Amino acid sequence: MPSEVMIRLDPKSRAAAKGLNDLTIRNLFIIPTIVFLIVFNIFPLLYSLGYSFTDFRASTNAPANFVGLQNYRDLLNDPFIWKNFSITAKYVLISVTGQVIVGFGLAMLLNRSIPAKGLITTLMLLPMMLSMAVVGLFWKLLYDPNFGIINYFLGLGKFEWLADPDMALYAIAIVDIWMWAPFVMLLSLAGLSAVPKHLYEAAEIDRAGSFYTFFRITLPLVAPILMIAIIFRTMEAFKTFDLAYVLSSQPNTELIAIRLYKMAFQEWQTGMSSAFAYIVLIMVVAITNIYVKYLNKVKAR
Amino acid sequence: MAQIKMINVQKFFGQNQVLQDLNLTIEDGEFVVFVGQSGGGKTTALRAIAGLETITSGKILIDGVEVQDRKAADRDIAFVFQSFSLYPHMTVRENITFPLRAVRMDKTARDKAVNETAEILQITEHLDRKPSSLSGGDMQRVAIGRALVRRPQALLMDEPLGVLDSKLREQMRSELKRLHIARGSTSVYVTHDQIEAMSLADQMVILHDGVLQQVGAPDDVYLKPKNLFVAKFVGSPVMNVADVQINGSEVTMKGVDTGFTFDESTLASLAKYDTEITLGLRPEAILLSQARTKGYTQAVTTNIEPLGSHDIVDVRLGDTVLRVRTESGFVSGEGQPVWVGLDTTQAHFFDKKTELNLRGAA
Repeated sequence: MPSEVMIRLDPKSRAAAKGLNDLTIRNLFIIPTIVFLIVFNIFPLLYSLGYSFTDFRASTNAPANFVGLQNYRDLLNDPFIWKNFSITAKYVLISVTGQVIVGFGLAMLLNRSIPAKGLITTLMLLPMMLSMAVVGLFWKLLYDPNFGIINYFLGLGKFEWLADPDMALYAIAIVDIWMWAPFVMLLSLAGLSAVPKHLYEAAEIDRAGSFYTFFRITLPLVAPILMIAIIFRTMEAFKTFDLAYVLSSQPNTELIAIRLYKMAFQEWQTGMSSAFAYIVLIMVVAITNIYVKYLNKVKAR
Repeated sequence: MAQIKMINVQKFFGQNQVLQDLNLTIEDGEFVVFVGQSGGGKTTALRAIAGLETITSGKILIDGVEVQDRKAADRDIAFVFQSFSLYPHMTVRENITFPLRAVRMDKTARDKAVNETAEILQITEHLDRKPSSLSGGDMQRVAIGRALVRRPQALLMDEPLGVLDSKLREQMRSELKRLHIARGSTSVYVTHDQIEAMSLADQMVILHDGVLQQVGAPDDVYLKPKNLFVAKFVGSPVMNVADVQINGSEVTMKGVDTGFTFDESTLASLAKYDTEITLGLRPEAILLSQARTKGYTQAVTTNIEPLGSHDIVDVRLGDTVLRVRTESGFVSGEGQPVWVGLDTTQAHFFDKKTELNLRGAA
């Protein structure tokens, strides 16, 4: 029986003419989606939770033994894992901060009447439409110490961006900023253009300087949408894999996603890596929650 | 407190001239109302004084100092926007203190100023609320409070009551007047509502198509309109206008056999205009009589608007319909024969070509 909540099919529609009713349409569209989600998302999620309590290795036929919380205990006591976490934290901080500053700055520049504004905006958005791996590969060429264009222009000689242990992480963050600052720009631009122009006029009449106007009017009014951009970018940066993997294979740039990949598919510690993945998941959910709480606070203001 | 002077102000938007040779002096402490139809240039003139709009040429002086090249922030004027323009993320208190904080006034002086202003405007109880939770009238009070709190040289208002409902408008109107009298600050006010303009203004400034039509006290403007536009714009119901012909001492409307008798001396100078003349009559300058009266012409009533305190009666006279103000219930219904006479001292004659008033103010 179709429930009362369901919107009745318009009897004049083409679907109705073909003899379909609400129920068939529901089955046709909703059920495949739900089945797909269960098979490819929910089931693996639960199954890997089970694996995370075992010593299962996908590379052998040996049966999985239940080890309880042993995997979690080992992981959280492993100083190398903590190193991965601190590298990731540093990377997220640099990358997201950079993206917000560059993206918001670009949005401020674009938020005025300039010729060819639409074209410029579209061109600026191109980096984020490229594939991560492709971006990684051509930035590797740009960074190349022998023929890279970056060293040529900056006059840095044979400086090894991606091999230098202090610089490599920054180099990856720069690529991430280049690629994703446009995303922050796009959202900021939407936020900025939603600030009514007459508020700026009022601020001008009220004798507010440009800095005062920016910090007291512009920023608070754009904050909610900027916050959404930051949530998205933090989650993405947290799980960065391809960009860092393609660009550099240094221990100093080993982000958690790379460690996880190696653990799962090179060392075949399936049970251990499942536990690791769960730790990462909990962390991402926790961080996102903090942001969402803050976002709601900003919105309520 | 300041005198504002505009000298030969011109303003173009592209090819479109919105202010033409505007010359105007607003004396210290005056309440001046810019009034006109939309697109008449009144808001542009106000924004030019505020510094929100640059002018193409001319000078604007505040207290004798040329300010046309200064930014709004450096002119020390306050502005009340039609849309209120309150900062939505700040409380009422923060909104009102914003102009003081922007110039880094210290906290004790700030608090004192805010509390005083809030008291005058009766918004003390709303100080910690957000603008979005206020009624339209209170939002407007906050906007006015934000303008007054810094004791500006002049207070400019752009249709501040435009978005309020009519009852609240009337109330806010008298509050504005009271505030102006209490503060004595030079005020410039823009509205398209001539009744609002007349009730508030010391001086009315009537603008049409970017050209100044007349400056004067409300009475002056009403009784001695300089031209046909002013005559028709000011006053409600609108002044009656009729094409007429002058024959000796008589003025005849089109389609009517008998004319109205005027003073010889009044018509002597007008005779040369022959038919190139328009007669303007306020609704109260037309007299109705139920019985045949000497000098009156017979006509038929076509419509009656009973307004309580008085009635507006439409009377067909030849080709023209005149709107007449009578005491309420004077005419019982449509289609009634009445006799129409004129108070000739209140009649206006306008040149058909130049539209200038040929009598009284002329």
